[in-house]
Amino acid sequence: MRIVTKTALLGVVTIGFLMSGCSAQPKPLYNYGEYSESYYHAKKELSPESALELQKSIEYSIENAANSRSARVAPGMYANLGYIYLKGGKTDKALESFNKEKLIYPESAHFMDRMIKKIEVSEGKK
Amino acid sequence: MINKKFITLIVSIGSIFILTGCGPSYVTKGTEFPKMYEQAPRSILILPPMNESTDAEAKDYYMTTTEMPFALMGYYTFPTEMVSDIMKQEGVYDTEVLYNMPLDKYYEYFGADAVLYTRIKKWDVSYMVLASNLTISIEAKIVSTKTSEELWKYTGTVVVDLSGGNSSGGIAGLIANAIVTAVNTASADYVDHAHTANRRIVYTLPAGPYHELHLKDQGVQLVDQTPVKK
Repeated sequence: MRIVTKTALLGVVTIGFLMSGCSAQPKPLYNYGEYSESYYHAKKELSPESALELQKSIEYSIENAANSRSARVAPGMYANLGYIYLKGGKTDKALESFNKEKLIYPESAHFMDRMIKKIEVSEGKK
Repeated sequence: MINKKFITLIVSIGSIFILTGCGPSYVTKGTEFPKMYEQAPRSILILPPMNESTDAEAKDYYMTTTEMPFALMGYYTFPTEMVSDIMKQEGVYDTEVLYNMPLDKYYEYFGADAVLYTRIKKWDVSYMVLASNLTISIEAKIVSTKTSEELWKYTGTVVVDLSGGNSSGGIAGLIANAIVTAVNTASADYVDHAHTANRRIVYTLPAGPYHELHLKDQGVQLVDQTPVKK
């Protein structure tokens, strides 16, 4: 009887492990929040509201980056934010964001340096 | 006795033929895309999609779906909207021109290791007598900016039956169904299914440097899409 009970217990535990193994989804590498949805809304109908929604989703993704497998801000998010600042004439904040993108992702350095140089050249002209 | 053995042999050979002929054949990431492991690109420049479908809006909508899956697979992806904007500022408005640009230009300007080209092959709803199907088909290709070699290519197709099983009500019912389907198929639905098509494509891509499986997923199986040589 004892052996039977033990075997049954082992079986239950094993099944439990197998089931948790199947259902436990690892967290995604990055936390994008609603970025994809708001990007789509902005593409579908560009308005001050949809542009603001997109900016807010980017900011959300950056602020909540820790809640992901990498705990890192997703590629391009700081660049996106910097570009929004640049278009809004906030060059200081744009430079800050482009530098952050570069710091997290060295792959972006070449492109970010190009953007930073563009800003510096246009600032110099003023 | 000999006859029986002979018949068994014929049946066995027949079965093998049927088996190999019917099912999809599988290959691994390592054997199918060796250059992806050799060159191991770190960054991918996602160009705006080339729209070969009948829906003019497909390009803008599909464009919003590509950045995430490739980044989640471990690559540095350049922000698509910003890149598209910058290209326009540089005077390049036409996707055709972007797709024919020499690849070293993308390395020179962005410092990208590779470029992703996507072609929207299908993005539509087809109405048949008894059913209507929504089809999205995307062909994706990654090319090296250093050697101009194709490193990876895969096609993802999603077909969704929209008839919803309601086939009663004769011709009038069918027409009503078709109208309902047309009204209900919002662009958001297409975008949802495009995300699914992307998932089917991206799982075949060798993982990038920011992914735990980088250079460790050669053994992952995928359906062989190489056309059979005649």
